[in-house]
Amino acid sequence: MARKMLRDGETEAYDYDLFVIGAGSGGVRASRTSAGFGAKVAICELPFHPISSETIGGVGGTCVIRGCVPKKILVYGSAFRGEFEDARNFGWELSEDINFNWKKLLNNKTQEIQRLNGIYKRLLTNAGVTMIEGEGKLAGPHEVEVTQPDGSVQKYTAKHILIATGSRAQRVKIPGEELAITSDEALSLEELPKRAVILGGGYIAVEFASIWRGMGATVDLFYRKELPLRGFDDEMRAVVAKNLEGRGIILHPQSTLTELSKTDEGIKVVTDHGDVLVADVVLFATGRAPNTKRLNLAVAGVETDKTGAIKVDEYSCTNIPSIWAVGDVTNRMNLTPVALMEGTCFSKTVFGGEPTKPDYKDIPCAVFSIPPLSVVGLSEQQALEQATSDILVFTSSFTPMKNTISGRQEKTVMKLVVDSATDRVIGASMCGPDAPEIMQGIGVAMKCGATKKQFDSTVGIHPSAAEEFVTMRSVTRRLTVGSKI
Amino acid sequence: MATSLGAPRLSLSPKTLQALRRTLPLSFSKSLHSKPLLRPSISHSPILLRLPRRRRLSSRPSASAGNNSAAASSGGDNYDFDLFTIGAGSGGVRASRFAANFGASVAVCELPFATISSDSTGGVGGTCVLRGCVPKKLMVYASKFSHEFEESHGFGWSYETDPKHDWGTLIANKNAELQRLTGIYKNILKNAGVTLIEGRGKIIDPHTVSVDGKLYSARHILIAVGGRPNMPNIPGIEHAIDSDAALDLSVRPDKIAIVGGGYIAVEFAGIFNGLMSEVHVFIRQKKVLRGFDEEIRDFVGEQMSLRGIEFHTEESPQAITKSEDGSLSLKTNKGTVSGFSHIMFATGRRPNTKNLGLEDVGVKLTNNGAIMVDEYSRTSVESIWAVGDVTDRINLTPVALMEGGAFAKTVFANEPTKPDHREVPSAVFSQPPIGQVGLTEEQAIEEYGDVDVYTANFRPLKATVSGLPDRIYMKLLVCANSGKVLGVHMCGDDSPEIIQGVAIAVKAGLTKAQFDSTVGIHPTAAEELVTMRTPTRKIRRNSSSDEVSLFKRTYLLFLILTCWANVLIYILTQEKVKDAVKSTT
Repeated sequence: MARKMLRDGETEAYDYDLFVIGAGSGGVRASRTSAGFGAKVAICELPFHPISSETIGGVGGTCVIRGCVPKKILVYGSAFRGEFEDARNFGWELSEDINFNWKKLLNNKTQEIQRLNGIYKRLLTNAGVTMIEGEGKLAGPHEVEVTQPDGSVQKYTAKHILIATGSRAQRVKIPGEELAITSDEALSLEELPKRAVILGGGYIAVEFASIWRGMGATVDLFYRKELPLRGFDDEMRAVVAKNLEGRGIILHPQSTLTELSKTDEGIKVVTDHGDVLVADVVLFATGRAPNTKRLNLAVAGVETDKTGAIKVDEYSCTNIPSIWAVGDVTNRMNLTPVALMEGTCFSKTVFGGEPTKPDYKDIPCAVFSIPPLSVVGLSEQQALEQATSDILVFTSSFTPMKNTISGRQEKTVMKLVVDSATDRVIGASMCGPDAPEIMQGIGVAMKCGATKKQFDSTVGIHPSAAEEFVTMRSVTRRLTVGSKI
Repeated sequence: MATSLGAPRLSLSPKTLQALRRTLPLSFSKSLHSKPLLRPSISHSPILLRLPRRRRLSSRPSASAGNNSAAASSGGDNYDFDLFTIGAGSGGVRASRFAANFGASVAVCELPFATISSDSTGGVGGTCVLRGCVPKKLMVYASKFSHEFEESHGFGWSYETDPKHDWGTLIANKNAELQRLTGIYKNILKNAGVTLIEGRGKIIDPHTVSVDGKLYSARHILIAVGGRPNMPNIPGIEHAIDSDAALDLSVRPDKIAIVGGGYIAVEFAGIFNGLMSEVHVFIRQKKVLRGFDEEIRDFVGEQMSLRGIEFHTEESPQAITKSEDGSLSLKTNKGTVSGFSHIMFATGRRPNTKNLGLEDVGVKLTNNGAIMVDEYSRTSVESIWAVGDVTDRINLTPVALMEGGAFAKTVFANEPTKPDHREVPSAVFSQPPIGQVGLTEEQAIEEYGDVDVYTANFRPLKATVSGLPDRIYMKLLVCANSGKVLGVHMCGDDSPEIIQGVAIAVKAGLTKAQFDSTVGIHPTAAEELVTMRTPTRKIRRNSSSDEVSLFKRTYLLFLILTCWANVLIYILTQEKVKDAVKSTT
């Protein structure tokens, strides 16, 4: 139907109805759904490789090749160490020397990622999207220029252009920075480090800390704040920090690295406290920046913000009406499912005849530390900032059943934040095994404004950890409007 | 969750602990008899501070509206207790605690602790804590490790020697945990000001309970004695064990037959299989888990088979024989399978209503021996109430808790409350486990006619690397007219944990559109539940209308075609065989 509508207009003058630059989560989704609406779509993407650069990428994008998926596979791999420890009190006798073959895992991971890369390509082909390999740049409001791997340049015109080039890991400017790696390389290291130093307090930093620790390395984690995971609920941040420590990760809060240098023993790391460490690997997990530098945005006059992210309106349209952008390149909420949502909304708006704004409220997310953290809605601090009535906080901290036998000294912590005036649950968080899986359903309930009463009226599933969310009967604390935590 | 109460590890040797368990008769101070020593602690109840206790408690519960007899509630305060609860399991403990918190004086009686229940043994905590959910889940955790060891290979882990399992360590640690929990439950009662009396309770009259001969009067009596495993009366049944015993075996079964297809049977099949017994499951039906969604039944059966469990379908047990070497044989309508070290019957549970004095006092029972109750859990005798498995409504711990809580509110808080048995989520801790809430596909079609069915059957990320054949199955049932989500079913890793949150949404009556508006958590299995965009099939009541008939026609066509294909293949292979025979001769 959209196709027909387009035919009535000036479409025929362009090569494509839509040209998408970047075949990651957002780009692939937008291409497929737009094609589904009848649009003629082309998408360009750099050649495949696990480690990205200006000229290397791959269909599937960060999530599939250098993010969520390989990361989760490594988390699975490293979580076995804890399982082996836990198994003993359940009666299992394991030989003292359990071997871990990093190369095997790496190989299996790469295979899986290649498989997914293939699946994504097929998805596009089946949707009738034309795939073009090469680096895409703007050549005008309706024109894209693609430099192919052989160096040849091809130009395409399109009624609409969608930029979905994502982001890339950033490095810190300190002496010896070139000795450090980013998460891209960390996911594909030739050798497993025995001594790892990680700089950063975000989710990528804590996830890699857990991964390497689980694989047997000593891990030193440096971050600027008192607690890791800025932006998350403070109480949960403290829980994560405690758990990381409990699993043997050495935390260095309120510190940073000042210099790296190469020695025979490894990389010499100097901290701002004057401490010196030697490491096999130094990981910078200090944020990601939007991939906008080589897009020739200026040619078309597309505006970016201070961080280099493309500025878009609520419908993901840039300041140029024919150019749109979704995903990490817009630096709104940098999560795969959000890019998917933005991509779908874009297609509906532009080709579905149904203007649709992505909705950023109550988006659940997870940190795959070991054990993981997952949250949806507001943190206690955010709730209090936005409060117009008192906030009720329900918390539960308990020893998960498995640990009663395994003897692992690790508690699961859960929290519900409730608006006392409406009884609506406005925030939920959990740190403990299966938290991300558990939080998805809680996310559905919250998205639709479920009240604490509705939570309570739900019967528990026994014995589960999740049942705690529907059996939190007494208020832990009441925060009055305007109070400080 | 019961285990949320802090868990110091006992550092006793397994042997000591096992010995402890066997010899601990758990003595109670006999001085607790006759008069209640503990008065209810009033401070717990904010409502109570506002209401004078006596007046409130002597007022009739409003739930009794329209009831026939007023005798019970007009007696004044001449009872030993406001509430006497028989049975300190999930429902009894919850009801007693809540009633005490509302200001009632409460006593609860319970049999002495033992891991295996009988007419004279039980234990504070009840089935759930001592012989059900908790020990079962602990055994599930223990047995799941073997699958994880297998998974770990694909992730690069290897062992010099294969992990071995020491049965004694597990059982000792499990029993130590149960001891700890029964202690915690006792403390919970004590802290709530509930008088705990050890012994067997029997109802003498509508306001009197006898515990081993000692009489106690009470304004209200609550029966919460639960259920017990039930075995058919076939020859040799004395050689079989039930789930009580299966949770407390002193040695690992080499080869075990499990008779039954219900959740207990499939859970134990997974437990023993994971702990490296050879497991045979005998079921009367074609598939396990009658009452569950049909596709879930198929799926879980397949997955369990892939993990090495052997199913014997449409076989009914007829006799057990023990041979001279001590091994057991199970005779069924189809034949005899021999060489079992253990035969377990998981053939249902029965309410514990025998020898309770119910018939004499006029409490009506259903055909299967369950206590009949109204929506407020009141029996046919006005002052006698019943909650939990003994009423055989939905036999789940959280339901007993809900019934117990509702009872206490109704009777002691002046707030008549019906337990709500709709959309109760539940789980089966098979391997892989099942989580479900709401209607099955069959029920949904029956009730709503027009139903959109969304399904997903996929290989989870972990399995793509482990290389194991593990899969996940999900199903969402949506009312075609209202868009309301009627049921959610899932089988695969973490299903019980995943379904809990979903159950809140289903309970709140959310629509498919609202599910879809929720952003996924990536990468999880659960995100699939919010990203099911296209219905797998649309069932319509009016079969002349398109899809259903199309679906049926396609299906029929498919059946016919496969039939023909089979015939063709058969003919062809016969030809080939003939050819092969020819060429060799």
